[in-house]
Amino acid sequence: MTVEPFTLPIARPGPTMFERFAPGAWRVFIGLVIVAVLMIFIAPVAILIVTSIRPASGIYYIWRGTEFTLQNYVEVLQQPQILHAMFNSFVMATLATVVSLGVTVGSGYMLSRFTGRIQKTWFATIYVFRTVPYISFVLPLYLVTTNLRIYDTYLGLLLPHIAVHVCFFSWLMKGFFDSINPSMEHAALIDGCTRWGAFRRVALPSAMPGIAALSILSWLWTWNEFLFALILTGQRTPMITSTMAQFVTETGTEWNLMSATAVLAMLPALLVTIFGQKYVIRGLRM
Amino acid sequence: MAEVILKSVGKAYGSHPVVHDVSLTIADNEFVVLVGPSGCGKSTTLRMVAGLESISSGTIQIGNKVVNDLPPKDRDIAMVFQNYALYQHMTVYDNLAFGLRNRRVDEATIKKEVEHATNILGLAPLLSRKPFQLSGGQQQRVALGRCIVRHPQVFLFDEPLSNLDAKLRAQMRIELKALRERVATTSIYVTHDQVEAMTLGDRVVVMKDGYIQQVGTPLDIYNRPKNRFVASFMGSPAMNFINVDLIEEGGRTRAVAKDLSIAVPERQVASLSGHGNRSVILGIRPEHIHLGAPAEDLGTTFRGELTVTEQLGSELVVGTKVADTLIMASRIAPETELKLHEHAPFWVDPKAIHFFDSKTEAAIR
Ligand SMILES: Nc1ncnc2c1ncn2[C@@H]1O[C@H](COP(=O)(O)OP(=O)(O)OP(=O)(O)O)[C@@H](O)[C@H]1O
Ligand SMILES: [Mg+2]
Repeated sequence: MTVEPFTLPIARPGPTMFERFAPGAWRVFIGLVIVAVLMIFIAPVAILIVTSIRPASGIYYIWRGTEFTLQNYVEVLQQPQILHAMFNSFVMATLATVVSLGVTVGSGYMLSRFTGRIQKTWFATIYVFRTVPYISFVLPLYLVTTNLRIYDTYLGLLLPHIAVHVCFFSWLMKGFFDSINPSMEHAALIDGCTRWGAFRRVALPSAMPGIAALSILSWLWTWNEFLFALILTGQRTPMITSTMAQFVTETGTEWNLMSATAVLAMLPALLVTIFGQKYVIRGLRM
Repeated sequence: MAEVILKSVGKAYGSHPVVHDVSLTIADNEFVVLVGPSGCGKSTTLRMVAGLESISSGTIQIGNKVVNDLPPKDRDIAMVFQNYALYQHMTVYDNLAFGLRNRRVDEATIKKEVEHATNILGLAPLLSRKPFQLSGGQQQRVALGRCIVRHPQVFLFDEPLSNLDAKLRAQMRIELKALRERVATTSIYVTHDQVEAMTLGDRVVVMKDGYIQQVGTPLDIYNRPKNRFVASFMGSPAMNFINVDLIEEGGRTRAVAKDLSIAVPERQVASLSGHGNRSVILGIRPEHIHLGAPAEDLGTTFRGELTVTEQLGSELVVGTKVADTLIMASRIAPETELKLHEHAPFWVDPKAIHFFDSKTEAAIR
């Protein structure tokens, strides 16, 4: 499959978009606004990273002082609990994404292409679940998981996560399929496909960029999720988010260690996003 | 290659009927065009033949088989969609091969068929491209190729040219016509463009509000429209309609309105006198209204103030206000000097006068 390269039109020198939108003195003003907005986004991450390389004594005045250390990372990485939690979160995010994706894609497709009683009921169900703040599920879920004796197990956390993924992301998936013209599938039906074949061989490949974007979203959602992790897991299957919170102790918060853990926790998320984005872009270029 | 027979086919969405009692026999290798305004149910009818919509009542037969309950893949048909509906993630070659691969045809045969189709359509240099790298016209050719390679019993077209610009549309129309000679197959072609209907169809089916209005050859439909709707739909500029009263005057029947009195041609007098109502609708196509005076007195002259002129280069179209209606006259020599708001003489070709019942709007013959 060789794709012939596009010849892009030659860029002519002219006002840049920035110059066109912000001529003259506006340039300075708009420029400052852009910097300010960027600061709002960058500052928390920057502070986190700086905190993670300051000694415990330096965390309250992080912009002053010149002591920097990697000791926090060494200390954090020496705690088996943290590595264990990272591993658990990774497995949980991946499992939940893989399992829920099948359901989400199927239900999104159904909502987009079919109308009927089942579809309406299903739509109403996930709609209701979306309108209820998910915090309110946590306590009932705690009772259910303890009753089923799956409290503090992979399964006990996996099932709620899958449910949330399905309820939250079926809508997005429906949107992706809505944007794919169904006549492509009709053409496939006429070209000899069954309904299932038209879905698998035509609709699914066309939705690939959307599905890829959605997997990143689901994965990050579970990786970052805190409330379920806090309530539904304990010592046996700790998650990285709830473990991080354990640096908040009665004698004070170990900000430096917490920051180091947080920075470490950002790395897998970053990798997944970068890897996934490549896939999304490749999908878009199909 | 097969006959397609629709017997009292109807379609309703819930309790809302959109196609009523459509009966139509399409002969082997015949090219039939369904034409009508937006929302008249022509796509729905076509999609019932394709199997993309269920059939609410009646039967559809392709070849000798009733296909009501057959899924599209078993009907041996091919379809071209308005938006081409190419498989976006496949190359042109794979698009063309898709249908054959589904039928487990071996790759060597596929290659041969694809080559055959690409030669006919001039697609050879594009085979390795993806649809998004093609122009609209090229995409439409691929969609046609996808049908040709399969050698189906029936071709179905749903407004295949309406996404193209005017010039390309005219060109593709001629190509389609040429293609018909090379690939003779029973075809049903849906369009809302009366020019496509006239030029492409062996027979034309005019539809309105889910009912068939008239079936006939293009000329038949143009010259002998069954009712006012068909008469107004086919032809551009559209036929002029004037409410007239029939009056006996000096032994001749005349159609009279304010500013207008036209002698009814002999051959139409009988049918009109048999018609109870004396108020009827007079229909005249713009090309049958001429500027100036006829060589001999036909009793069909009138005068009117020029209110619109349209210079098309090849012809001049003028509009004049007669009997409170804007009457268009076309095919006037483009170099004719005319001033707006001046009064000019016109005459009507008596061979081409139509009358319609003012209530039922059916043609009076
Ligand atoms: N899924 C549907 N549910 C309800 N009504 C529908 C549905 N599909 C089509 N209709 C109605 O059926 C009628 C006929 O539609 P159809 O698509 O056949 O029109 P058409 O003649 O092809 O018009 P166009 O030239 O705009 O394509 C329309 O009034 C439309 O609103
Ligand atoms: Mg249509």
